[in-house]
Amino acid sequence: MILKKNKLKEYREKDKMTQEKLALRTGVTRQTIISIESGKYTPSLPLALKFGRIFHCNVEDLFN
Amino acid sequence: MWKIYLIKMEQKTRITLKYAWVFGFILLGIILNYLNVGGSEFVGFTSVGSWLIYVGFMGVFIITLQTIFKKKRQTDERMEFIATKALKITFLFLIIGAFVLMIIDGIKTIIIPYHMFMSYMICVLLVIYFISYKFLIWRN
Repeated sequence: MILKKNKLKEYREKDKMTQEKLALRTGVTRQTIISIESGKYTPSLPLALKFGRIFHCNVEDLFN
Repeated sequence: MWKIYLIKMEQKTRITLKYAWVFGFILLGIILNYLNVGGSEFVGFTSVGSWLIYVGFMGVFIITLQTIFKKKRQTDERMEFIATKALKITFLFLIIGAFVLMIIDGIKTIIIPYHMFMSYMICVLLVIYFISYKFLIWRN
């Protein structure tokens, strides 16, 4: 299943965080962050939970 | 389970296993040559044993180069996902290829030594895997 729309970019920009920094914090490559933001790749549950922890929000807020 | 163990295996253990594998080739080659088994020409070599020794030494050379020059690469879940997808595509090609070859063989018998056929097949599968992996990485 591919989730075309997500608010990852929105949350990242709100936190003034670069894609590089977010990739470093979640332990993935920058290309993966780009793919998730553009809706080409759906992250796994552990990775989605990491995003939620970093941005202090629920996974459902990030991914519809 | 086995895959997870291989991923988590320590680098040193992995290198030791690789060396053990290629030294096994060399040893088997020496034994076969000593016992004079498989003396006919094999893939351009004088015997199967000589070919195994050659493959073993090539393996030692490649593993040594890898150990010296290998960079630490970061792999993540997306890359693993793409690798699995590429593997599935390669397997599909194998099935379709085998089916096509069966038909071709039925029309006109394929006269090619078994070892040559297998070496061609392995090369083709590696190329298909490489191309599909690169294509999927580019698309995603």
